[in-house]
Amino acid sequence: MSHVAGPVGPARPDHESPLGRKAALALQHVTARALGPHQSAVVRIGFAAAWLLFLLRELPNRRELYGPGSPWSWDLAQQLIAGNGAFTTLMWSDSGFWFEIVYAVAVLSSALLMLGWRTRTMSVLFMVGVLSLQNRSIFMGDGGDNVIHLMAIYLVLTRCGQVWSLDARREARAARVVASGGKAPVDRVGPVLWAVLGVGLLGTLLDSPGGEWWVTTLLWTLWLSQGLWWAVNRYAPRSEPRALLDVIANLAHNGALVVIMVEVCLIYATAGWYKVQGSRWQDGTALYYPLHLDYFAPWPALSDILASSGVIVLLLTYGTVIVQVAFPFTVFNRRIKNVLLVAMILEHAGIAVLLGLPFFSLAMIAADAVFLPTAFLLWVGATATRGRQRLTARSAYEDAGDAGAGAAKGEHGDGDGGGGTVPDQRRKDAGADTPLVR
Amino acid sequence: MDSYDDKGENPAPPPGRPPSPPPGPSRGIAGLSFPYQVVAALALAVVALVAVVHVAMVFLHVAPDNTVSKRYGEQVGDWVFPEFEQNWKLFAPNPLQQNVAVEVRAEISKADGSRHTTGWINLSAEDGAAIRGNPLPSHVDQNELRRGWDFYVNSHDDKARPNGLRGQLSESYIRRIAMLRLESHDLGGPVDRFQLRSATRLVEAPPWSEEKTNTKPAYRVFPWWTVTPDDLSEGVRNHGGGTEASG
Repeated sequence: MSHVAGPVGPARPDHESPLGRKAALALQHVTARALGPHQSAVVRIGFAAAWLLFLLRELPNRRELYGPGSPWSWDLAQQLIAGNGAFTTLMWSDSGFWFEIVYAVAVLSSALLMLGWRTRTMSVLFMVGVLSLQNRSIFMGDGGDNVIHLMAIYLVLTRCGQVWSLDARREARAARVVASGGKAPVDRVGPVLWAVLGVGLLGTLLDSPGGEWWVTTLLWTLWLSQGLWWAVNRYAPRSEPRALLDVIANLAHNGALVVIMVEVCLIYATAGWYKVQGSRWQDGTALYYPLHLDYFAPWPALSDILASSGVIVLLLTYGTVIVQVAFPFTVFNRRIKNVLLVAMILEHAGIAVLLGLPFFSLAMIAADAVFLPTAFLLWVGATATRGRQRLTARSAYEDAGDAGAGAAKGEHGDGDGGGGTVPDQRRKDAGADTPLVR
Repeated sequence: MDSYDDKGENPAPPPGRPPSPPPGPSRGIAGLSFPYQVVAALALAVVALVAVVHVAMVFLHVAPDNTVSKRYGEQVGDWVFPEFEQNWKLFAPNPLQQNVAVEVRAEISKADGSRHTTGWINLSAEDGAAIRGNPLPSHVDQNELRRGWDFYVNSHDDKARPNGLRGQLSESYIRRIAMLRLESHDLGGPVDRFQLRSATRLVEAPPWSEEKTNTKPAYRVFPWWTVTPDDLSEGVRNHGGGTEASG
């Protein structure tokens, strides 16, 4: 039970200057832990849920959107992708059977990512599913798809299964077994999953036109580091290489989390600053117009009620701009940030109904959630656990089971040494232009 | 036994932080020997560099054209396209203030050999009807025709001439959309040719405003297209039967 690998010195030798000491502390902070475990978990759950619900809703239309029945035919898609190099496994074959497999994997991986089962692996499959479907038919998407697209890539680099996940529960159980003197259960599913995905990865070698080099590199790097992580955990769990991989995974996580936060701020900043320049946002009528667009009017009567008062429209119009412009600056002030966060989440909920954009709104709320305070998230978690306990308590009378045994404790989920990636290259393409309010 | 004093090695045991330490040792960089610290520092440098460059590139991509983004436009584009493309100028600087309806009419061969031209069929109105009263509108109704039409118009010049590959792709696309949509109509025979037009109506200014809005539609009519096999998506047979093929 001793450390296999050598000198684990006590903290860094003292730095004389307080500045140096602070820097050392910060360095230790970002290398020793994956920060924001609850925030990253809620972002994971939110985006996985948004994409899962979207895929289920579009189940009857899937072939028209992304499959063989699409007016954006496979040949058209291929010509566009040959120019911009977007990644999609749907270009590996034009068969309808392959399409159904990809769609099924996309559905399954989002469900499992939401639950946090083999979180890292599912996050990779989730990204592959999102990119495959969206890039296959880029003109079917809107702003909601755009956020999901970005976050699916960023999430791959995070340890987003530390809490509120089946992984965390499994690890907590294993830890309990070990603590009571038992032997940790052997993981059989992991290696099998790894082997199967390795075979799937071979597809990237066949793929003649598709995917920028960094996507392929990212996939292979993640796959290799998952294998390495498994091996090191199994054969040298207390070794220094294990500790190093942990540090690298923490760094990647923390870096990705910062990028996610900046991305959300950029979304609001661009949405807000460009609006300031618009005459309709200045004269306070802007919000009136989207409420009268046929494509965004599921409830015309409701839209009319809201749009009937000039003062309410003015307040909402100005409020939208103020919140969007201000938000990035308030992230340094907890109290104001939280107030604005509530305002933005409420506004998105309104957009979901009024403009008929439920999946866009859900995705934006999931993005906002990265800024939710830990105390609030803990409270939500505790409430959910209590609710579940109350539900399971009844059946527990009979089987005297351990109701609510796994109030998901904070444990590291699957990690790996997947370091940074360097996106690069390629031409432009149709983005998700869109008519949304944000 | 000694596993739980790993925490003691951290110079900063953050008190009261929710997650308990992982099963393996979580030592941070301070718990590593020098050679490993070098590797960790290298990893930190790479992560920090990639994150900073990425954020800078995305910023230049979403910011207005400026001195830097003009000079490095190509590098920014190479980095951002296609996977990190984004456009958040939504409803900015001004929201869309017009409803664009795409309409189609078709020339039909009837069974008796005669020809017949249908009236204008408003495809966007069909989308609108599918969206109305629907809490979960489909991308098929909300985006397919709307964005397909934007794509077509934006990649053609004023005289409806395609600009490059995108123009050609968008024409194939909008033709296939039109034929897909006509399939669910009972036209009385197969479509030989069809024609599209757009009807743009300004949203009327709010009742409290003194602005006068001309809400008369402005039409833009496009040339006739003869139907080719390429215009028919899977399941579109162009028998003109309509009802049985709908969906």
